[in-house]
Amino acid sequence: MHIGSGFLSPPVWGTMAAVSGAAVAGSLAVARRRLDERKVPLMGVMGAFVFAAQMVNFPVLAGTSGHLGGGFLLGVLLGAPMAVIVMASILVVQSLVFQDGGVEALGANIFVMGVIPCLLGAAVRRLWMRRTAPILVEVVTAVGGLIGVLAGATGVILMLAWSGSLPGTVTLTHALGVMNGVHLIIGIVEGLVSVAVIRFVLATRREAAFGAATLEAGEASR
Amino acid sequence: MTPYNRNTLIVGLAAALVIGAVVSYFASSHPDGLEKTQEDLGAAAPAHKGLVAPPVAFNEYSLKCLGEGFWGNAVAGVVGCLLVMGLLLGLGHLLRRWRHETTANGAS
Repeated sequence: MHIGSGFLSPPVWGTMAAVSGAAVAGSLAVARRRLDERKVPLMGVMGAFVFAAQMVNFPVLAGTSGHLGGGFLLGVLLGAPMAVIVMASILVVQSLVFQDGGVEALGANIFVMGVIPCLLGAAVRRLWMRRTAPILVEVVTAVGGLIGVLAGATGVILMLAWSGSLPGTVTLTHALGVMNGVHLIIGIVEGLVSVAVIRFVLATRREAAFGAATLEAGEASR
Repeated sequence: MTPYNRNTLIVGLAAALVIGAVVSYFASSHPDGLEKTQEDLGAAAPAHKGLVAPPVAFNEYSLKCLGEGFWGNAVAGVVGCLLVMGLLLGLGHLLRRWRHETTANGAS
C-alpha cells in the first residue's frame, strides 16, 4: 500500500508529514517515560520480522498481489506508541534504502500503515491480557485487522484524490470501491495472520508482549 | 541482557532473516493492491514532482551488483532486517539513556 513518489501534492504530503511527525514524536515521548527496557529486543525483532513479512507478496485475484502491513499486529503486541515507532522505522528504511514508498510520501505512508492500524491494534490489546482468550477475542481481532487495512486503503484514495492524482473521469466512490475491493482480501489475510502470530507469541513468549503491561495493570489496581 | 532476552532475539531474528532472504524470493511479482488500483483507474503516472531518494546500492529489493536473482534479493532482505533492528535497538538505547539522565538530574 506504499504510496510512490510523485503521487501526492505538496500540501497533502506536507500535512501528512506534520501529522505523522507529531505522532512519532509523541510516541517517542511516551516511550521515554514508559518504555519497559526488556521490551527493546522484542521491538527490534518484531521490526525485522514485519519488514521481512512485507517483502512476501502473496497473490490476490488475477494479476494482483498484497502483503502484510503488520501495524495492527504490532499495536496488539506492543501497544500504540511502541508500534508506531516500529512501523515508522520500517517505513523509513523501506523509503530511503529500497525506494519502496516515495520519500515525500513517508508521512502519509506512516499514517495509513502505521498510525491507523497501530491505534486499532492497541484498542484490542486489552482483550488479550487475560489468561485465556476466547474465540470471540480472536474474531474481534481478525475483524480489527481487516478494518485497519480498509481504513488505510480509504485514506490512500482520499489523499490521492486531494492531490489531483485521480483522473477527472473517475468518481471518488468508484476509486474507493476498487481500492477497498482489492484490499478486502488483503485485509482478511492481515487479520488472520495477526491472530496466528499473536497466538504464537502468547503460547511461547507471553511475558515478552503482555508481561509488562499486566504488571502495569497490577500496579495500577494496587 | 538476560538469557531470555537473548533467546528472543536469536530465534525471532533467525525467523525474520529466513523470511526476508529466502521466502521473499518466491513472492508474487504482480503489482500490489494500490499499484493495481492505480493502473485500473488510469492513475499510474506520477502527476507531481516528488523528492529524490538518496543514491543507494539497492534497486528496490535487490542489490544492484547482483541483479534481481536470488542472491540480490537475499542481500536486500538481510540488510533491511538488520537496518530496521539496528535502528530500533539504537533508539531503545537512546531512550534509556535519555531517561536515566533526566532521572539523574532529578527532573522526574
